[in-house]
Amino acid sequence: MSKILQIAAREFVATVFTKGFIIGLLVLPTMLGIGVLAGPRLFGADRNFAVSGQLAVIDVTGDVASELRAGLTQGTPAAEITDVIRRARADAAGGGAVLEALGLAPKLTLVDPPAGADVESAKAWLLVADKESPHLALAVIHANAAQPNADETSLGSFDLYVPPKQDQRVEIAVQQALREAIIGARVKRAGLDRAALNELTSVPRVRSVTVTEGAERGTVGAFGFLLPIAFMFLLFTSVMGSGQGMLTTTIEEKSSRVIEVLLSAVSPMQLMAGKLLGHMGISLIAMSLYLGLGLLGLSSFSLLGLLDFSLVLYLFIFFLIAFFTIGSIMMAAGAAVNDMREAQSLMMPVMVMLMSVWFLWFPISRNPDSALAMVVSFLPPVNTFGMLLRLASQHPPPAWQVWLSIGIGCAGVVGAVWFAAKVFRIGLLMFGKPPNLPTLIRWIRAA
Amino acid sequence: MSALDAAIDLRGVTKTFGGTTAVEDLDLVIPRGALYGFIGPNGAGKTTSIRMIMSILLPDSGELRVLGSASALEAKDKIGYLPEERGVYRKMKVAAYLAFIARLKGVAERGLAARVSALVERVGLAGVESRKCEELSKGMLQKIQFVAAIIHEPDLLILDEPFSGLDPVSMRLLRDQIVVEHRRGATILFSTHVMPQAEEICDHVVMIHRGRKVLDDPTSSIRSRYDPRTILFEPFDARASVEAVRALPEVEACAAVDGGYELLLREGADAAGAISRVAAAVPVGRIEIKRPRLEDVFVQLVADESRSPDAARSLRAELAGAVQVAP
Repeated sequence: MSKILQIAAREFVATVFTKGFIIGLLVLPTMLGIGVLAGPRLFGADRNFAVSGQLAVIDVTGDVASELRAGLTQGTPAAEITDVIRRARADAAGGGAVLEALGLAPKLTLVDPPAGADVESAKAWLLVADKESPHLALAVIHANAAQPNADETSLGSFDLYVPPKQDQRVEIAVQQALREAIIGARVKRAGLDRAALNELTSVPRVRSVTVTEGAERGTVGAFGFLLPIAFMFLLFTSVMGSGQGMLTTTIEEKSSRVIEVLLSAVSPMQLMAGKLLGHMGISLIAMSLYLGLGLLGLSSFSLLGLLDFSLVLYLFIFFLIAFFTIGSIMMAAGAAVNDMREAQSLMMPVMVMLMSVWFLWFPISRNPDSALAMVVSFLPPVNTFGMLLRLASQHPPPAWQVWLSIGIGCAGVVGAVWFAAKVFRIGLLMFGKPPNLPTLIRWIRAA
Repeated sequence: MSALDAAIDLRGVTKTFGGTTAVEDLDLVIPRGALYGFIGPNGAGKTTSIRMIMSILLPDSGELRVLGSASALEAKDKIGYLPEERGVYRKMKVAAYLAFIARLKGVAERGLAARVSALVERVGLAGVESRKCEELSKGMLQKIQFVAAIIHEPDLLILDEPFSGLDPVSMRLLRDQIVVEHRRGATILFSTHVMPQAEEICDHVVMIHRGRKVLDDPTSSIRSRYDPRTILFEPFDARASVEAVRALPEVEACAAVDGGYELLLREGADAAGAISRVAAAVPVGRIEIKRPRLEDVFVQLVADESRSPDAARSLRAELAGAVQVAP
């Protein structure tokens, strides 16, 4: 045991007390901080962007274009109509800050096509360059857009033509303006009052209140959405970080030939166990730090009460399972190859499988009881990620499923360590061509 | 000698890699306190045999005991090992590296730093303890690795090609340290493909070729058994006639070699008497009995496999150290 601890201590010290580790440890929270502070500005809507230009409309009904024109000339332009929509959406989503983020209101100028112009000639107008007031779109209103044709009940719509490389935001604004104008025309044809209708159909969105033991507070919708990914992120970065470390150090020890010196002092199993133990300590430090920062963040926003602390316990249990499974496989890969390039090829299938959990995060979080979620949460080595996602979701699985997943994970650990120990023992002293699957099987049988 | 008395006891050990037999049916008994040379050309199976002795590789068949244990795993703390493929943790400081290896070998923490310093000084590298391993030259690293092999005062010291890559001064220093360890009481097995190195310090030689043992004898026995019955002499006057020498009854053949002559004596001839009669027949500048060299013995033993003159010459050169084949 003391030899295992000696190996573990060396691995721990050689990794933790390096500038690279400390910088690496700080990079993640720094990036997250930058993301939180600068993310909305970097990834949010361009507030200085405004739709500005000309919109040509061929309207055989005469109602839609007049509705649109009336809006533009009488102080209730489509721009303002869309502005009303913007405000309504912004209010529902959370207020003025969102409205600000939505950016400037569009400024559309309605253009009548030349007298007698058909659709084809009007399309040519779209391609005429006009820097002052660009030609944004040509809309052809269906004859039955505002009122059904005789003997029909269905209403029509419109066709929209845009020039090449049209900005999608422009198209959205134009479509909104046209939709509002068509609705206005339909309302008028039906003899109704648009303002009264708006009043009748408008119900402001309310914010729910989460009631907990002895307290209640406004529901933070994002909490339930972000919690699963936060826990999976913790698990993934901790396991993959240490797995990568074990892969790298094993390759280094093999290529620097220090491995044979070590094997003269300890058995391959002792060496492997020591390395696993050392890197487990490193991972636990990193995970505990990130977890602590996360809890601190929740505490500072008074959200700590919303966290079920059994999740932290499950995080550590699933961490140990994932760590020993993936870590031992990584170490076996490191022992089997001669350099990182070969390791990347050998590890490709495992990495693809592990990366798949990022694609599965959204569907599992949205529907934690789905067949997909069930399969993933019982399939090693990704079961740890799948089950943790389900546990952190709004619909945690029953306890028997959690413990079945833990049992399957433990069986996976035994299998992975058994496999890795055999490959590790043989591979450490093998140089030259990296092994393929038949070679690995031969090693396992020989060890 | 019983297996328990022997430091190393191999019986019928065989190891194959795929379709290649690296070691075949190897028997080897090394008594405690002996200094054995394990010699053979590159690829002969020396390193594989040593790795099996160290339990780094497991034999396919055969029995193996090391220091009375069924496996070196049970006696690793009593074994010092300098592998052929030498490596260190390059980013570690010398003292930290040696202390780490010592702890793995069960050396107590108390007095460890002093022991490290003393041994580093013993190999002529005083003051390098605080330097990182990557800052040392190859020769310096080799000495550090030798220190790592002896830091726990092992009962058995196994050195795989310990002199490869060393300059003559370092080679002499290392050779002296091996002798010191032997005098301390350690059993020593060292492998080399350069036979004069083995001739210098070994009291017993094991030769291996293509995985099979071809010789296992004390050095003195090899010298007497493989006596070439040859006298080397150079006439005082290089132009002097040697017909009188050719006519001596002990002389079977006389051949001119490198400015002198090689006299092959008849079977049973008295070499000392022959030297006196040669000296009486022709004034000589130098005269001596030709000693058997291990590479000659080896080439003779594997004559069947090195029948072509080119192959024999190449093998002889390699064994003499003239050709350093990269491992």
